[in-house]
Amino acid sequence: MSLRLSNLSACFEGVIPSIIATAAADGMPNISYLSHVVRVDEDHVALSNQFFAKTAANIRANSHVTLIVVDGFTGDQFLLNVAFVRSVDTGPLFDRIALQLKASSAQVGMSEVMRLRSADIFRVHRIEPVPSPVETASARRRDPVSLPALSEAIRAIERQSEAGGIIDSLLSGVRGVLGYGNALVLIRDGARGSLVTTGSMGYERSGLGSEIAGDDGLIGAAAASGQTIKVNDMSRVRRFGGAIGLEAETSENATRVVAFPELPMAMSQIAVPMIVRGIVTGVLFIECTERLAFREEDEAVLEILAGHATSALRLSEHAAAQPAQAAPPARSAIGGREIRVVHHRVDDSVFVDGTYIVKGVAGALLRLLLQWHLKDGRDAFTNREMRLALGGRMPEIKDNLETRLLLLRRRLEEKQAPIQIVRIGRGRVRLEVTGPLTLDAAQD
Amino acid sequence: MQLDDTLLAFFKRPLMCIIAGSDADGRPSAGRGVGLDVLDDRQTIDVIFSAWQWPRLEADIRQTGRVAATFVSPSDYVSFQLKGTASLLDTGAHDLDRAERFMSAATNELQSLGVPRQIIGPWLTARDARVTRITVSEIYIQTPGPLAGMLAGARAR
Repeated sequence: MSLRLSNLSACFEGVIPSIIATAAADGMPNISYLSHVVRVDEDHVALSNQFFAKTAANIRANSHVTLIVVDGFTGDQFLLNVAFVRSVDTGPLFDRIALQLKASSAQVGMSEVMRLRSADIFRVHRIEPVPSPVETASARRRDPVSLPALSEAIRAIERQSEAGGIIDSLLSGVRGVLGYGNALVLIRDGARGSLVTTGSMGYERSGLGSEIAGDDGLIGAAAASGQTIKVNDMSRVRRFGGAIGLEAETSENATRVVAFPELPMAMSQIAVPMIVRGIVTGVLFIECTERLAFREEDEAVLEILAGHATSALRLSEHAAAQPAQAAPPARSAIGGREIRVVHHRVDDSVFVDGTYIVKGVAGALLRLLLQWHLKDGRDAFTNREMRLALGGRMPEIKDNLETRLLLLRRRLEEKQAPIQIVRIGRGRVRLEVTGPLTLDAAQD
Repeated sequence: MQLDDTLLAFFKRPLMCIIAGSDADGRPSAGRGVGLDVLDDRQTIDVIFSAWQWPRLEADIRQTGRVAATFVSPSDYVSFQLKGTASLLDTGAHDLDRAERFMSAATNELQSLGVPRQIIGPWLTARDARVTRITVSEIYIQTPGPLAGMLAGARAR
């Protein structure tokens, strides 16, 4: 069976440097290492055009090029006879190559050095395996992805009508279909320009409420570019998201920052943007202690699952925005211990009895519910009235109130706060408090 | 062109080596080197490679005698490329000893940098070893950075 480029996917991860041999017009050869070869399609590869001037000049003078690419998992080598076709410096293909290079450069600690200006596209004429003197470690044989399992995971997501169930089903799907046990769902907070951990699976600390700023690291890059991005061998570098805070949970109350969850010894990470109608609303992030864990078919499965979950989240927002039945009458007052809540207007952070709960939109929501509760004794509220009340100051809640409420609910649960929020039907929640409340505005 | 003391010291470090040839039509071939020896005249270098693993490289060197060889120190990416005309020689016992030492030093170095030993295995073999004796005519710095591609390493004569 002749080899195809798609059989060589582990050669294109940028883990082991590739090699490029060219020859000048007079036939004098030239050879150098190459940071990364990107597979474009079944017949073409792209090389970053940031190699040495001699290589670039040779390619223009003599389009015949020989590459050695190396399987990052087994060490198997392949000779590729390729011919230069054209250069690209803009457009979707260029963007895809630039993004892959960014990830793989970061993986070898060279992200500052490598900045792609253009990429050269080559047609592959021949692929030849290089004989190996040793029995190579057989590539980890994995069963192909089970389509029935994928179908079931999608149905499980679609059976859910509220944000919590959808996100949990997405995480269960990742484990059920692909077997990965550590995953996060981050939802974009437009106002703060960050991504907030709203679902978490497999970590010692859930990290719910932790944030990734802007386009920081792998997760930020996926959100900013709208493309799946991965690193597959972190053995030689600090974590891609080096800027991720490592504050201990105990410092939350001082910093109002929740520590990002960590998988010690993570070797592979992948961030899949959650996109609906061309807009990135969040990121599904998975990590694993194996090298080269994420293959092409894993990427496809994750993109399918993330896509369904994103659509389901959008539908749940719409459904929850519809008029709900009248709230049931207020329940009788409770005579427990006094609960002191402090709200900081500067970042909408909220503390309950001195414990940091949440900030941003979720914090503003908690303050709003508590104000209403204090004003007229109500404890049941509709999403619709929350939207109306906060929509002026925070227009983005139009599209993500449900996920903000979910984050708030989960943080209150996780902190075992004396205030809890319970979902009591589509588009309605109930506030449960165990004692008399005071709500103070902090002077920052 | 003579190799200077910096280059001689460099060649004593644990290195990886890649070699290119080209056929009469200017089509390049590539392979890995598994040993080297700088001759006393400092203008000639023997580079050992496996003809079993890289048959096209052997054929091209035999046909055109044009060779480029790049050596890199894996720990700091310091690299030099040597080019020149070359002939092919059969190997002697000392060449095989040299190859063994080169491969073992390279393997240990890569392993210390976190490359799993089992994936290095397929890259380095002296099976059907050949020596390409290169009369060096050009030397280039190939370390990534501002000096990359510049002429280097020649001792004033």
